[in-house]
Amino acid sequence: MAALGLLAAGAAFAADEASDEARLRARLAPDVAQQVSAVVREARAAGLPTDPLIARAFEGASRGADAAGVVGSVRRQAGALGAARGALGAASTADEIVAGASALLAGVPADSLARLRVARPGANLVIPLVVLCDLVARGVPVNVASVAVVTAARAGATDNALLRIRERIHTRIENGGAPAGSTGEVVRQWLQESPAKSRRDAAPNSERKKVP
Amino acid sequence: MTDARDDDTRHEPHDRDFDEQVRADYLLARPIDAAARERVLAQLAETGDVVAKGEEPKRASGTSGWLGWWFSAQPIALRPAWALAALAVLLVGSGWLGARFATKARVSVPVASVPDAASPAATATGSPVTFVLRAPGATRVSVAGDFNNWDAEATPMTHTGTGDLWILNLTLPRGVHRYSFVLDGSEWRPDPSAPLAADETFGGHNSVIVVNGANGL
Repeated sequence: MAALGLLAAGAAFAADEASDEARLRARLAPDVAQQVSAVVREARAAGLPTDPLIARAFEGASRGADAAGVVGSVRRQAGALGAARGALGAASTADEIVAGASALLAGVPADSLARLRVARPGANLVIPLVVLCDLVARGVPVNVASVAVVTAARAGATDNALLRIRERIHTRIENGGAPAGSTGEVVRQWLQESPAKSRRDAAPNSERKKVP
Repeated sequence: MTDARDDDTRHEPHDRDFDEQVRADYLLARPIDAAARERVLAQLAETGDVVAKGEEPKRASGTSGWLGWWFSAQPIALRPAWALAALAVLLVGSGWLGARFATKARVSVPVASVPDAASPAATATGSPVTFVLRAPGATRVSVAGDFNNWDAEATPMTHTGTGDLWILNLTLPRGVHRYSFVLDGSEWRPDPSAPLAADETFGGHNSVIVVNGANGL
């Protein structure tokens, strides 16, 4: 019975691999498809999500990147996925690993991801990581953005609260505020406005559930 | 309604001349007769229809009185320059308000970036998502992202027909998706209403959407 299970898993693995390679060959030049396929195979063997790698290759092709640019980007993405899983923990979801890899590629240090995991034990980290990446993309220095998100998460900020904080910072920056200063002001203001207990009480159950 | 001139055919010639004289006389501008004006005002004051300077107007008691003021014709004196200035302020103000609220409506359309497991529209495989973009001058707009293999032509948006809004409804599978708008097949632009992806691997920012299925993220 166990042997049959292993056989079925192996067949599914091979089918996924063949499907990915067919998708890549349909969109990319043969040599590019071959190199990307090799990276995707390694990622799959390591248990990492592979769809983001294929998507990255397709994005590069659509945006007119050259072969070296596409392959290099896919390799960096694969490395970041592995590093994100290491920082966030082996039990992290695929979505968390993808969001974490995006943060690492933006220059967020791996220990910030680990601190975020500690700040929100048992909760999903996708939204905090998305907010962190957004702040960095809007010019907030990486260290300031990391401290802001980790601090808010540690204080019990829900996903919706983090998104509201992001919007407030975004508005201030759009109105001419300095990214770092605006971030600090908004987070400090939020901390003053929201007592930790009430924030924890307001947290939805979905944010307290255990990561599978 | 019958034109008065139709009846002229029944009049005698001298009657027509008389009519023409009356009309010409009526149209002739005359200086105001100050004495006559004073006489008329004095007569009106006697009947109570005119309020003397400094005197409070007489009001009928009860609701009908003050309601009556609102629904009766009231004399309003305006200096043309002030009236034009007020009109200009009104037009500028309404234009500003219109633009402000129109913009807000455009950017506040929910893009499903907030996971909502309780959403009745969410399914086990994904949720409906609405993309909206204001793109002045664009002749075609599409969305390219993880969910359509980054094909810049595969998922066109629809022009609303008024203004410069483009809209697209999709059902996306749950998960984290990166995407961009593509204007006229060549200009890549992130969604102004969504969080940005931090990395600019291929020279431009993408946006991020987090779609929640029935099972949550």
